[in-house]
Amino acid sequence: MDLTTVLATILLLPLASAGFITLCLRRRGYAAAAVSVVVGFVLMALALVAVLNWNGQPLHRSWEWIRFGNFAYTMGFYFDHQAALMLLVVTFVAGWIQLFSVGYMDDDPAKGRFFGGLSIFMFSILGITLADNLIMLFVFWELVGFSSYMLIAHYYTTDFANMASKKAFIVNRIGDFGFILGIVWCYHYYGTVDLEALRNLTHLNAPLLQTSAAVGIGLLLMCGFIGKSAQFPLQVWLTDAMAGPTPVSALIHAATMVAAGIYFLARVYFLLPPFTLHWIMWSGALMTAFAGLCALGQTDIKKSLAYSTLSHLGYMATAVGLGYPELALFHMAMHACFKATLFLGAGSVIHSCHHEQDIYKMGGLFRRMPITGLTFGAASLAIAAIPFFSGSYSKDTIITAAFLKGMNEGPQYYLVYVLVLFAALCTALYMGRLFCVAFLGQPRSEHAAHAHESSAFMTIPLAVLGFLSVVAGWVVYHWDWAQGRMNWVMPSAATEVFVPTYHAVETLAAQAGVGHALDLVAIALAVAGLVGAGIFYGRARAGDPLQARAPGVFQVLERHGWFDDLYDWYVAKVQQCACEMAAIGDLLIVKFVFVQGTAAITGLTGALLKRVHVGSLHAYVYWFLGGVLLFWAFALGWF
Amino acid sequence: MVTIVFYFFSTLTLLAALFVVVNRNTVNSAMCMIVAFVGVAALFVLLQAYFLAMLQIVVYAGAVMVLFLFIIMLLDTQARERVRFGRADIVAGAVAFICLAFGAVWLARHYPVGVTPPPAPAMPPSDNPLAYATSAKAFGYGLFTRYLLPFQVTGFLLLIAMVGVILLSKRLPPPDSGVKPDSP
Amino acid sequence: MTPGLQAYLTVAGILFAIGFAGVLLRRNTLVIYMCLELMLSATTLALVAFSRFNGTMDGALFVFFIITVAAAEVSVGLAIIVALYRRRHTIQVDHLNYLKF
Repeated sequence: MDLTTVLATILLLPLASAGFITLCLRRRGYAAAAVSVVVGFVLMALALVAVLNWNGQPLHRSWEWIRFGNFAYTMGFYFDHQAALMLLVVTFVAGWIQLFSVGYMDDDPAKGRFFGGLSIFMFSILGITLADNLIMLFVFWELVGFSSYMLIAHYYTTDFANMASKKAFIVNRIGDFGFILGIVWCYHYYGTVDLEALRNLTHLNAPLLQTSAAVGIGLLLMCGFIGKSAQFPLQVWLTDAMAGPTPVSALIHAATMVAAGIYFLARVYFLLPPFTLHWIMWSGALMTAFAGLCALGQTDIKKSLAYSTLSHLGYMATAVGLGYPELALFHMAMHACFKATLFLGAGSVIHSCHHEQDIYKMGGLFRRMPITGLTFGAASLAIAAIPFFSGSYSKDTIITAAFLKGMNEGPQYYLVYVLVLFAALCTALYMGRLFCVAFLGQPRSEHAAHAHESSAFMTIPLAVLGFLSVVAGWVVYHWDWAQGRMNWVMPSAATEVFVPTYHAVETLAAQAGVGHALDLVAIALAVAGLVGAGIFYGRARAGDPLQARAPGVFQVLERHGWFDDLYDWYVAKVQQCACEMAAIGDLLIVKFVFVQGTAAITGLTGALLKRVHVGSLHAYVYWFLGGVLLFWAFALGWF
Repeated sequence: MVTIVFYFFSTLTLLAALFVVVNRNTVNSAMCMIVAFVGVAALFVLLQAYFLAMLQIVVYAGAVMVLFLFIIMLLDTQARERVRFGRADIVAGAVAFICLAFGAVWLARHYPVGVTPPPAPAMPPSDNPLAYATSAKAFGYGLFTRYLLPFQVTGFLLLIAMVGVILLSKRLPPPDSGVKPDSP
Repeated sequence: MTPGLQAYLTVAGILFAIGFAGVLLRRNTLVIYMCLELMLSATTLALVAFSRFNGTMDGALFVFFIITVAAAEVSVGLAIIVALYRRRHTIQVDHLNYLKF
């Protein structure tokens, strides 16, 4: 069957599954789980089929959905290499996480609602992947936000989950406000919102991008990215979103939804003028360093991993800002694999420790949960960019690109290189910390002592994703060897996105003579970080050694630079005051003047008019006489 | 000759009307009313509307005023209606009277004096069947051609009036009694 | 000097004014009603005068209807007055003032 049909099936199958689960299977948790998992694997297969049978030419099909005058809102597919890559990543990771959820949620009474939410999330993220115009992208953007809201609030009986889901949605909406303004301005300025048309327009007509309108559009579109991918200043929702179940954190807040922002930037890269790219680069670099530090101050395993996600999103943003959106997509794909493995490993650990999330209540789990420990360790090495593991290929290339920018365009960009390198060190530090404290040493609590390996539902996805996080990068590096042999699992149509750029950056670095030096520096830092973490944290007994030795520093990191508290203060004091003043205005003007005023006037008129009815016939006759005289005078033409 | 008759009957009518208004006794008022109607009927005769004059006597003076007298007698009012008009009432009434009377007279001045058309024929000419004629046939002709619809509707009106009067004059039993309204 | 239209209209006008003054001044409902009839009579006189002096039958035919309607109206009105008397035991207009605010 042709590609359009396959894509349409891919998009609509999760919607059908969600509908079916919502209507029929709300009470039958296991049936809902089965439907959702089967659909997830079917999607994986279909995505592979679609990409393998694709002839490499960008496919653009659209259907008119609604028409306003001479503006038609269309929905359609734009399938090119970027879409192919994102499609494969999303369906692959989502399928295995759905399988994991069956094991993780086995003691949860609301499985139907959970799997329905996962299905609607799949529909939304696939819509973003395949969207061919900005408005359709925005529609699915909002749908993804809704799915995230629904899934974070899965444990809706707790206040924390409710507040976290609201916070996530509202912060996203703030970003989306800028986004929609950007889309409207884009339509006004360029005359179209279709991605392919915009690309052609900007390639043919480069001066279009140098006007202030284009800069404005770029900045506003960036707002959407800032909201969805939790960049500065809207990063406060991601750590609270850990209130949702761990598979949700893995799927949505590590692998796919937050990466949708990066995917979006890559899609509209041709619309972003240099000013916007500079902003993205600097904010991304600062975010990665800061978030990397904050991860050292968290004792909750999921919060620590959330800050790690923030840090890596900063990496991807830096890559886009440096001018290499393909590298950002490369890192996104690698990050999806190993971050999903890390989160699933954390989920496995949390599940067997009976929902204990504090790492200082775990310990010695490697012996008791070998598969989990092995995959977690492999993913930690990957994220710390140890050579041969997948993370190193993407992350080190970004670091190299940062150094090259500093070399070519001015020494101030060396700061980006320093920040990114520092973040790499932090990554190694906090991952080493997590692994040592949670998996090595002695158990620090009863639950940890009695932990046992999780069921096959959980270990199989862990194994698959862990394996992939080890080998994926290597396959790309040795592409010539792998091509043809590995095509069935990693189609070249998808990897074509970033492989040329990867090699190009390596070549540039080699030409500048710094290629090997940079690699060595990065590897040295990573190893130093892991070893240092092992030494510093390895013998921790009850509390965090950093907290014990430098409580002030630890508190800054733990409170995330008091960002959340700043926003809380702003909302509570400043915004609330403004709201109350507006409420008073509303009370005075609308209620008092308009509503009660009109009522009073009507009542007054009625009270005056009823005075006419005195009950005396003679009075009525006088009125009659008055009327007759009036008509008479009128008839005589006196007035 | 005609003039004298006119002045006599018009004065009679106006005086009788004045007495209707001023008389304390209701029955006296009704009698004066009859005289006023007879005067108006005489004025109709002067205008050669003979059929209408008879109609006026028979219906108004004969039927309507008799009905009035019945009701006056029935209601047995203590004729001690203390006709104590307050100062304001008299002033208002006088003002109203002067306004209307002088207004009417002033308007009447609009029309030419003493131009009398020739005496009306008994039958209307055949080319203008609705010309002013004195016979009842002329009335009949107009009623049954041009004014047929109002004629029929007036019939219905009389029917409704009859039904309404019957309904209005039922004696309703006092509430809380089990007596039905039309039991004797 | 035969009486012209002016004379008849003058008579009708004064008759109307007398009737109106009667409605204004008297307190007995029945007398008020009789004064209303006086006003109607005045209009019929005016109509016949116009009809005669214009040479058409329309005015006279209209008077025919006025007399009919007036008769019907009187009968119904008197029935109402009788019913009212049965309830309130008075026909003084001053005491019949219940329909007020």
